[in-house]
Amino acid sequence: MKRFLRMSYLVASLGGVGFFTMSMLLLGVWPGSVLERQISGMSPEHPMALTAAEERGRIVYSQNGCAYCHTQQIRYLERDVRRFGRSTLAWETVFDFPHLWGTRRIGPDLSREFAIHTEDWEYQHLYSPRGVVADSAMPSFSWMFDGAPDRPQQEARDLLAYLETLGRNREIAGSEGEAHARAACNCSEEEKRFGFDPPLLNASAAMPRNASEIPALGPATDRARGLRVYARNCASCHGRNGDGNGPGAKGLRPRPANLTEHEYRSERVAQILWNGVPGAAMPAWRDMAAEDLASVTLVVRDFYKPAPAVPAPSSGAAQIYADICAQCHGERGAGDGYAANSFRIVPRSFVTGRPSQAAAVLTVRDGIEGSPMAPYRSRLTDAEIDDVAGYIRGFFKP
Amino acid sequence: MSDPAGSFVETKLVYAHGLAALVTLLIAVTFGIVASIELIAPDVGAGSPLLTWGRLRFDHTQGILFGWLGNAFLAFLYHAVPLLTGRRVLSARLGEWMFGLWNFAILAPGWILVLLGFSQPLEWAEFPLVIDAFVVAALILACVQFLPPFFSRGLEDMYVTSWYFIGALVFTLFAYPMGNVVPELVPGARGAAFSGLWIHDAVGLFVTPLAVGILYFVIPAATRKPIYSHFLSMLGFWMLFFLYPLNGTHHYIFSVIPMDAQIGAITASALLGVDVIIVVTNLVLSVRGAGWFPRDIGLRFVATSTILYLIVSVQGSVQAQMSINQSVHFSDWVIGHAHLAMLGFATFAAAGGLIHAWQRIPWARYDAMLLTWAYWLLLAGVSVMVIDLTIAGLVEANLWNSPAPWIESVRAAKPFWLVRTLTFVPIVGGFILLLAGLLTGKRGAGLREVESSIGLDAVLEIAPRSSEARV
Repeated sequence: MKRFLRMSYLVASLGGVGFFTMSMLLLGVWPGSVLERQISGMSPEHPMALTAAEERGRIVYSQNGCAYCHTQQIRYLERDVRRFGRSTLAWETVFDFPHLWGTRRIGPDLSREFAIHTEDWEYQHLYSPRGVVADSAMPSFSWMFDGAPDRPQQEARDLLAYLETLGRNREIAGSEGEAHARAACNCSEEEKRFGFDPPLLNASAAMPRNASEIPALGPATDRARGLRVYARNCASCHGRNGDGNGPGAKGLRPRPANLTEHEYRSERVAQILWNGVPGAAMPAWRDMAAEDLASVTLVVRDFYKPAPAVPAPSSGAAQIYADICAQCHGERGAGDGYAANSFRIVPRSFVTGRPSQAAAVLTVRDGIEGSPMAPYRSRLTDAEIDDVAGYIRGFFKP
Repeated sequence: MSDPAGSFVETKLVYAHGLAALVTLLIAVTFGIVASIELIAPDVGAGSPLLTWGRLRFDHTQGILFGWLGNAFLAFLYHAVPLLTGRRVLSARLGEWMFGLWNFAILAPGWILVLLGFSQPLEWAEFPLVIDAFVVAALILACVQFLPPFFSRGLEDMYVTSWYFIGALVFTLFAYPMGNVVPELVPGARGAAFSGLWIHDAVGLFVTPLAVGILYFVIPAATRKPIYSHFLSMLGFWMLFFLYPLNGTHHYIFSVIPMDAQIGAITASALLGVDVIIVVTNLVLSVRGAGWFPRDIGLRFVATSTILYLIVSVQGSVQAQMSINQSVHFSDWVIGHAHLAMLGFATFAAAGGLIHAWQRIPWARYDAMLLTWAYWLLLAGVSVMVIDLTIAGLVEANLWNSPAPWIESVRAAKPFWLVRTLTFVPIVGGFILLLAGLLTGKRGAGLREVESSIGLDAVLEIAPRSSEARV
């Protein structure tokens, strides 16, 4: 009997070790081999590995605990896909030694951070998070800068380089890569929907929607709601009074629009809210409720302070416009000149938005730093600048 | 007064690890408090890489794991193993080396390296790999120190606490390298599968068996009544070691990890709740008669730990289910759960075990009143914190599922984060009183109290033996 007991304990102890081994095999090794097959079937041929700078940035990201507030794992769930984009596929993670999936989301998921924000926004945000996102709980990483958001040190540059790799391979794979992966995916229809269907809403300015996809924002009357939305989401850059001088504006190039100097048609505001301004720091807000977007449109349009009338431009202005401006801004000022498509930041349409005379003069004279708009003070006289500024204001159709 | 445990127990090592546990606890809690303040006032640490939120967060949990719980468990092992086996641990000299290794080659340099930016971003594994080498060495030494008494005694008729301790020592040694090293070698999703395993194993194979072993030891030793059922004890033990390791993938539900593995882990998580109900039933039936708040303060901590173990485990089983998980995962709900497990269940078990062992060191000081205050403050602190964070999690989950911009969930969380930070008052107060209760008072006061309440016989214990079980 005693012998039997002893034997049974021995067997049980071996069984205990067996339990642990089994857990590793069932939940570690076996899923690993399934994932490996999945990766070899679905991955594009040569996904881009990290460069030395990006790899250094990954270490900065790791060692400061970024992954403990920002996940890098979009789950196969409506609520994740709607906010952050297509679900994470296994092949996207093959360069992550170790993985940075995370189990807590205080800030948003960063799996698709590639091209969502511009460099100036990212630096401004790392330097002073609450400058661009009011009430953010993110720590300031100003110690990675030389005293200003546009003076990043090595660590900040590396970190940004790394952030720009998040989701990059997926973008590069393009529609062809998506089709290949979708065909190779041994998964349910629902998983395919979350994993591959183009996300309708995720707010990336780099992935603008066509004009036809932008829903018309209904007429809004709830100004109080609009003011609340504006104060919480817009004022950090555009300023409390809409003058484009919020705390986050300092580091942004081009600077946030001065809303008091521009008269916008509501569909122009809607289009910018929906798509953001690709190439500039203005993010897309298309994941917000339509009523919020409509009411904030009301507020934005109300910031415009009509300026005193100015004398009509002379006939020479049309010629200057045709010679200098039309190639980008279009013959009729709709922002559709033949060169318009070659710029990351598209030329402004004067049909849907009109700057004040003063703002137009300033822009023509000094250009817009951080955008393709060049300064013309050396090519045009002050009188000509006045003239052409008045001329472009004439394209506006209220 | 003579040494009540005979000459078996290395009381100096119990004392040293106990003291180290409480000192490192206060440091680890300070990391947590500063991190929590930074969530409501993010500019507090601005400008200093050392005070970056993430680094403080790493040091907080690693400090709790190695500093507080690790030292407290080692203290209790030095008390309990000789009593359970009737044999000394391998070597007191080895114990001194282990103490130095644990606190001065693992914890202190680990904390400093993390603050300087050397770490790995893996949960419950944040200390850098160079520290992990020392951890594995220490875990091997712990096996060398504590296992021989069990084996020379023989495994027959062994009490359940012994099984838990052996299990914890052996499986932590297996699981630790898996969680710390494999994700560095196996990338992305495949590595995450192993990471998930370790996140649960750190809690399930290290913290839980040692804490439950304490519960099973202190209850019969302090009530002088045998455990209710040896059969249920062993059933619970084997179910734990079968089920806990199979839970890991429940940290990555709805991920790209194969659905079959996810469903397996979710099922195991549900069954784990059943296991804990069995274990807690057995423990509660054993402690009954002493009341919900026993007079013996060590036993009181332990009895409360038992109840918290039930709550946190059932909560865990529930939140692993897909319908719940999809909402509350990633939210403060989980932070509440983690604190209920570590600050509730594990801390109360470790504190109860430490007090129990401390009381039986003939020359140690002891002040029961301060310890009673510590108990109430800690219970109040952890209750408020967990309820607060659980509600915060529900609020966040609700906003995440709405079209509100992400930042709205941060704004909504801030009042809850403020309350969470304020719970540091009762919690730190409780820990300071716990330390004070063990460092002030008369020498030998603890032992005299044992003598007057349940008699000194009980102290000459007296391992609770399995053959004495009531069922």
